Amino acid sequence: MKLFQKLKRMKSKEFWHLLINPFRRIAGWQAFGVGVLFVVVMGLVGTWADVAFDGALDMHLTDSLTYAQSFLYLGISLASVVLVMWLAGVMIAKQVRFIDILGTMTLAKAPFLLLAVIGLFTTAPDLTQITQNPMAVFNSVSFIVLLVVSLPVMVWSIALIYNGFKVSCGVQGSKLTLAFILGLFTAEIVSKLALYWLL
Amino acid sequence: MLPTSCPSCHAQLKVKSLMCESCSTEVIGSYDLPVLALLSKEDQRFIVRFVQNSGSLKEMASELKLSYPTVRNMLNEIISKIEAYEK
Repeated sequence: MKLFQKLKRMKSKEFWHLLINPFRRIAGWQAFGVGVLFVVVMGLVGTWADVAFDGALDMHLTDSLTYAQSFLYLGISLASVVLVMWLAGVMIAKQVRFIDILGTMTLAKAPFLLLAVIGLFTTAPDLTQITQNPMAVFNSVSFIVLLVVSLPVMVWSIALIYNGFKVSCGVQGSKLTLAFILGLFTAEIVSKLALYWLL
Repeated sequence: MLPTSCPSCHAQLKVKSLMCESCSTEVIGSYDLPVLALLSKEDQRFIVRFVQNSGSLKEMASELKLSYPTVRNMLNEIISKIEAYEK
């Protein structure tokens, strides 16, 4: 009985570890393949839900979204993270493969699918109403749910980006943390600038 | 597993004597332990597997069911340990 409980505990520990750092087991092309699958589904569901992933770590509700816009937003946000984190990796590590950064960063986008799905059931509150009375935001329960869920999803995605970057570069300590923080901030700025210039 | 550090003060041990099992001759001196013997059991097992896989990290990764960069990082950690011992 004790052994069974121990095994169960080990399995659950491994499961949580896999959710936060799957890159110990998969990286490179394998991670890229799985990540692309998530991104494609995210793009489709995002279009149906009018949820735009317009930034390295952004998600916004829109009035209407075309497939082209949805995938362009996703493509730009992903490309900015991949390119900036790869450059950051090259600067701090001797051996960093582009395919590892590409794969891990693509898979790190996966948690946002949850927000796209919740977006299907969310009605955005009226902006004019909110500007008149900010408390009107609480009239839309689905919007509150989306807001509440978006925080852990964001944290989860950041943890995945961090772990993907750590595994891909093989660097530890303050060098890794600094490169990661600067890289993520730069990626966010780059994605916003790219969206501004391209759209 | 060969003990490599002193149980009393944790300093690195040296080989004092070697014995021939066939004629019981003993060779006494002060010899350094080989670098590989200083590594942990897991690290030694990793090196043996690495050699068995003809130095292919890809094959190691699929055998250990780990990602390529994870295995490469494990190897890099062993390399840094060896470099530290050699210094």
